[in-house]
Amino acid sequence: MRPDPAQPAAPPQALPEAGSVPAAAAADPDVALMLRLQAGDEAAFQDLFRKFSPRVLQFARRFVGSDAQAEELAQDVFVQVFRFRHRYRPQSRFSTWLFTIATNLCLNEVRRPERHLRVDIWERRDGEERAEGPPLPDPSAVTPEQGAAARQLERRLEVLVAELPPKQRAALLLSRMDGLAYRDVAEALGSTEGAVKALLFRATQTLKRALREYL
Amino acid sequence: MRCRRAQRWMVAAVDGELAPRRRRMLEDHVGSCPVCRRDLAGTGEVLERVAGLATQCEVPSRLEQATLRRVQLLAAAEEERSAARGWWAGLRAPALALATAAVAIVAVALTRGAGDRQPITSRALDQHRVAAQAPAREKPRMIASSERRAPKAAENLPVEPPPELAAAPDLFIELPILRNMEKLEHFEAIGTTTLDDGGEQSNG
Repeated sequence: MRPDPAQPAAPPQALPEAGSVPAAAAADPDVALMLRLQAGDEAAFQDLFRKFSPRVLQFARRFVGSDAQAEELAQDVFVQVFRFRHRYRPQSRFSTWLFTIATNLCLNEVRRPERHLRVDIWERRDGEERAEGPPLPDPSAVTPEQGAAARQLERRLEVLVAELPPKQRAALLLSRMDGLAYRDVAEALGSTEGAVKALLFRATQTLKRALREYL
Repeated sequence: MRCRRAQRWMVAAVDGELAPRRRRMLEDHVGSCPVCRRDLAGTGEVLERVAGLATQCEVPSRLEQATLRRVQLLAAAEEERSAARGWWAGLRAPALALATAAVAIVAVALTRGAGDRQPITSRALDQHRVAAQAPAREKPRMIASSERRAPKAAENLPVEPPPELAAAPDLFIELPILRNMEKLEHFEAIGTTTLDDGGEQSNG
């Protein structure tokens, strides 16, 4: 099911009633925070924001390729979490619900027809330091040359991931992120596990072909 | 098993999402196919590299502040809406009762009015005929607002001008202010218009 770019992304409405909280979900601290937020505790929202915003922001940056847009999207994601807090049902993990919202908003953003220009933040410009955070640690890199090669591979990989078709990119990022199972990825994308497998297969094939010289 | 199918299952196998029976089939195929073995190793490496990409980044404080501000505004708007909804819910029942009572009163009044009406008698018909033969009364006409005000103004005015003015009406007519009365009606014109003919400018 493709999200309609014209419509604001709405989080999925879980079918079961709110009253019953499964034991596993009740033990999940994120679910507990979300239930507190539903009960009107706005401090719980701050805790959720502080815990998940680094991941949501990074996800959005990889998706839209622009820091400013990623920040706007991350903001929108958390505003949606607050707005639709009463729709959350603890049958699914909070992170699945959160990344469903994030994915829908990101897909809407990249499919907007007026989105002609795309600034690729993954291509480092001359003399510019990465704002993303620490580089990927590479235990196998024992020499400076090997370390440089690993960083080059990492940058190339980031560019390639950013160039994947949106749904393939979403499936790949979600499946690597926060340990989302295929079932959760399918829920976030509004599709089936089979479709997720197909998306991941195509994405991996593209990356393998492009990275042949590095691997 | 064909190589193409094996390739399709590789990502799920690396992620541990392949059904056990298929996993065994894939392992059997890879054991006997060096091309697929290399392919599986490549798939594993690519996925490992992607998983190794940074999944978090530093969140600027402005983002947190902006988000919290928007959420506070949203919460305030929600409270306002729920308060308004509560007020309307409280008012709805009395309003409905009042409307019902009003309808009932009107209905009763109409019913009683119909009951009080006299039956049409020959005398009433005669009265009606006489009234019809009488000269038609002048139709009420719209009265202009100036006309409506006129009697009041006329009451205040003296019937005759004062004797000194009646003797020398030119003194009255030639006052410069009267020649410029139209200009006085517009406030903006007052500030910018010369009122007299002598070339002196008005001070506003």
